[in-house]
Amino acid sequence: MNTFKLSASALALTVAASSAFAEIDEAWWKSAAEPYQGVTIRGVTESSPPSLYIREVLAPEFEELTGIRVDIETTSWDQMFDKAIKDMEAGTGIYDMAYIEQDIIYSYLARDFLTDLTQLLADNPDLKAATYDESNFTTFADYFKDSEGHLYGVPMEAFLKVYLYRTDLFEDPEIREAFKEKTGRDLEPATNHADYAEIAQFFTAYGEENDMDLWGTTAQAHTGHVASWYEYWESVAPTFGVYNWGINADENYGSSVANGGEMNGPEAVEAMQWWLSMRDIAPPESPASTWTEVGTTFGAGRVAQGLVYGENAGWIAADESKSLVVGKVGVALPPLAEGVLEEVEAGEGYIGYYDGGAFGLPHSSKNKEATALFLQYIGQNEVQPDWAVAAPRVTNTATYDDPKVVEFNKELGGYYDLIKDKGYLFAGAPAYPFHAQVREATAPIFYQILTGNLGVQEGLDQMAATAEATLTELGYRE
Amino acid sequence: MQSKRLGWILLAPTLVILFFFGVLPFFYVVFVSFHSWNPFAVNPEMVFNGADNFRQIVFDPAFLHSIGVTVMFVFFAVVSELILGYILAQAFMRDFPGKAIFRTIHTLPLIMAPIIVGSVWKLMTTPSIGIIPHYLDEWFGITMNIGTSAPAAFATIVLMDVWHWTPLVTLTLIAALVSLPPDPFEQAQIDGAGKRQIFWHITLPMIAPAVVATVFIRLMDALRTVDEVWMLTGGGPGSATRFVGVHIFKEVFPKTNYGYGSTISVIVLYLTIVSCWLLYVTMLAPRTKRD
Repeated sequence: MNTFKLSASALALTVAASSAFAEIDEAWWKSAAEPYQGVTIRGVTESSPPSLYIREVLAPEFEELTGIRVDIETTSWDQMFDKAIKDMEAGTGIYDMAYIEQDIIYSYLARDFLTDLTQLLADNPDLKAATYDESNFTTFADYFKDSEGHLYGVPMEAFLKVYLYRTDLFEDPEIREAFKEKTGRDLEPATNHADYAEIAQFFTAYGEENDMDLWGTTAQAHTGHVASWYEYWESVAPTFGVYNWGINADENYGSSVANGGEMNGPEAVEAMQWWLSMRDIAPPESPASTWTEVGTTFGAGRVAQGLVYGENAGWIAADESKSLVVGKVGVALPPLAEGVLEEVEAGEGYIGYYDGGAFGLPHSSKNKEATALFLQYIGQNEVQPDWAVAAPRVTNTATYDDPKVVEFNKELGGYYDLIKDKGYLFAGAPAYPFHAQVREATAPIFYQILTGNLGVQEGLDQMAATAEATLTELGYRE
Repeated sequence: MQSKRLGWILLAPTLVILFFFGVLPFFYVVFVSFHSWNPFAVNPEMVFNGADNFRQIVFDPAFLHSIGVTVMFVFFAVVSELILGYILAQAFMRDFPGKAIFRTIHTLPLIMAPIIVGSVWKLMTTPSIGIIPHYLDEWFGITMNIGTSAPAAFATIVLMDVWHWTPLVTLTLIAALVSLPPDPFEQAQIDGAGKRQIFWHITLPMIAPAVVATVFIRLMDALRTVDEVWMLTGGGPGSATRFVGVHIFKEVFPKTNYGYGSTISVIVLYLTIVSCWLLYVTMLAPRTKRD
C-alpha cells in the first residue's frame, strides 16, 4: 500500500482531504478572513512529512477557502532554528509562524518570543472558529502551555521514540528454534536490557553466519552530531532511571552526584556501557548515523530491532516506495531496568522520548490575526485524519477513532494504539530554557566517550562538571 | 575632474553595499566580542566584559584544538591542490585526444555548492552503502569508517577539498602559463638548461604572482571551511575534524554564545590576515624588491 502520496502526488491528498473540507463551515472562514484579503503569512519549519503536508495540502486549502496566502518554508532542522531565532530575536517579523520543537519551547517562553494564543483568541472572539478547541488536543499540547494553561503553539506533530522490531524475523520458526537453542528462552520483544542485548547479539551473529546484511540492533551513535547525545539522554538513560539528563533542577541544577545530580551516577554509567555495547554490534554505519540514517537502516531491512523515532516508524512500516520491511514491523515499549516502570507509573520519571512540535505565533509577526486563523485551521479535528495517514502523527484525541486512522494503525503494527494507551509513560525534553546551551557544551565530551578517547566514568564526570559550569555561567546555577 | 566624479558615482553602489554588508557587520562583531551575550542566559542582555573573552580564548583547549586541526587541514589541502593543479595545468598545455571533454569534466566540481559536495561525499563514504569503503574493502581489505577513525575522517575531508578546488588552481595556473613569453624558455634550452632547472629558475619565478594569489584565495577559503565538513562529519569523530569554522558555528548558532563566538571570529580573521601577510612577505616582497 502506498500511503505516502505526499512525495508522489500532493494532488491526490488534496482530493482525499476534500471530505473533511466539506465539513468545515466555509461561510464563517470566508467572513472571518475578509479583512485580511491580500495578506501573505509566512512560516518556517523543518522539512518533515507533517510540515510538507501543511505546505502541499493544508496551506493551499486554506488559501482557497479564505484568500489568505500561506507560504511555508521547509528547511533543515538547524537552519529552521537559526532562522526563527534570529527573526524573533531581532523582531524583524519575517515569519508569522515558527515551528517550535518541544525541547525549545521553554527557551522561547523564557525570551517571550511567542504570542499567547489562548489570550489572543479570547481578546478577539471574532477570530475564534467554532471548530477549533484547545481541549481537542491530546495531552501533548500541555508542553506548549504556560503555568496558567495558556497555549503558545498549535501542535502539528507528535511521535514516540519506540522499540521497533521485525515481526517476520521474530516469528520465523527456524529463527525461533535457533534462538531457543542458543538462549533457552522464546524469542519475544525484549522487556529488559539483558534480553534486548541477547537478541541483538543473536541476530548480529545470525547475519554473519548466514552471510546476510543483518544486525541485531540500531544505534543512533553519530560521533559528531547531537543525534547520539539525544539518543543516550532521552531514550537510553531514562530506561535505566536517569531522567532530565541527570540534572536536578530542585538541587540548584546540580548535575554531578556530588551536587545532587545523576549525570555521572552509577545508573548513567551502566546505561552508557550498555548502549556502547549495543553500538558495537550494530551496523557499521551506526557511528555516522543520525535519526534519519537509523530510519533508513531499519527500512532497508538491515536490523532486527531498534529504537526508532515515530516519524520514521510510519514510513518504515507502511511505505513500500521507501521501505523493504512493510508489513513486517511490530512496536513495543523500550526495554527497561528493574523498577523503572513502577517508578514511572508512580509519576516519577519517563521511559522514553515523546517528540513533536507545534506552530507558534511570534510576537514579531505583523499578521497575527490572519495567522491565528491559519493556526486554528490546522488544529481542527476535521483536517486531522488525512494528515495522520499521510504523515503519521496524532495531535488530536478524536483522530485515534477515525476509521481511516484505525485502519492505518493496523499497518503500523499498532503504533497509534501505543501512543494512545502508553503515551503517558513517555515525556518530552525537560523544561529547561538552556536546552541547546547545555547540550552543545557537553556534546564534545560525549563524542570523546563514543570514540573511546575518554572512559565512560571519566567522560560522564567531565560532562557533569561542564554542565554545572555552563549553568553557572548562564546564571541558572548559583 | 569630471571623469573622477563619474568614477565615484559608478563606485558608489558598490561602496554602499560594502559598507552595510561588510564594514558595518565587521565593526559590530568587534563590538560584540568585548561583551558577554547569550540571549538564553538568565540575563539575556549584552554585558561589557572588557578583554575577558580574549583572555578566555588563550586557555580554551577546544579553540586551540580547532586551530591546530585547521592549520593541518589548510596545509595538506592547499599544498596538494597546488601540486596537483600545476601538474594538471601542464597537462592541459599539451594536446591530447579528448582534451576539451576532460577539461570540461575536470572543472565541474567548481560549480557545485559546498553543501552538495559534502552530501555527495557523505553518500560515497558512509560505511556499508558508500562506494569508497566498499571498494577499499573489496580490493585492499581496508575497513574505512569515518564515524570511528579520526585519520580516515581527516583524510577524507582533505581529499574532498582537493577534489572540489583543484580545478580552480588548475585554471589559474593555465592562465599564468599561457601568458608566459616563449623567449626565456627558448634561451634556456639553447643554453642547455634541464627541465628541472627551467622549472625552478624560470617557470616558477614567473608564475609566482599567480601562485601566491591562488594560495591566498585557497588559504582564506580553507580557513573558513564549514559546509562540507558539517555535512560529512559534523566535526567528528569526537573533535577530529572540528575546524575553526565549525567551532565558531557551533559556538554562535546552537549554543547562542554570541559574545565569545564573535571573539573567536575576530581572532580567526586576525590570524588569516597575518598568514596572508607572512605569505606575501616571504614569497612576493623579495621579488618586488629585486624588480
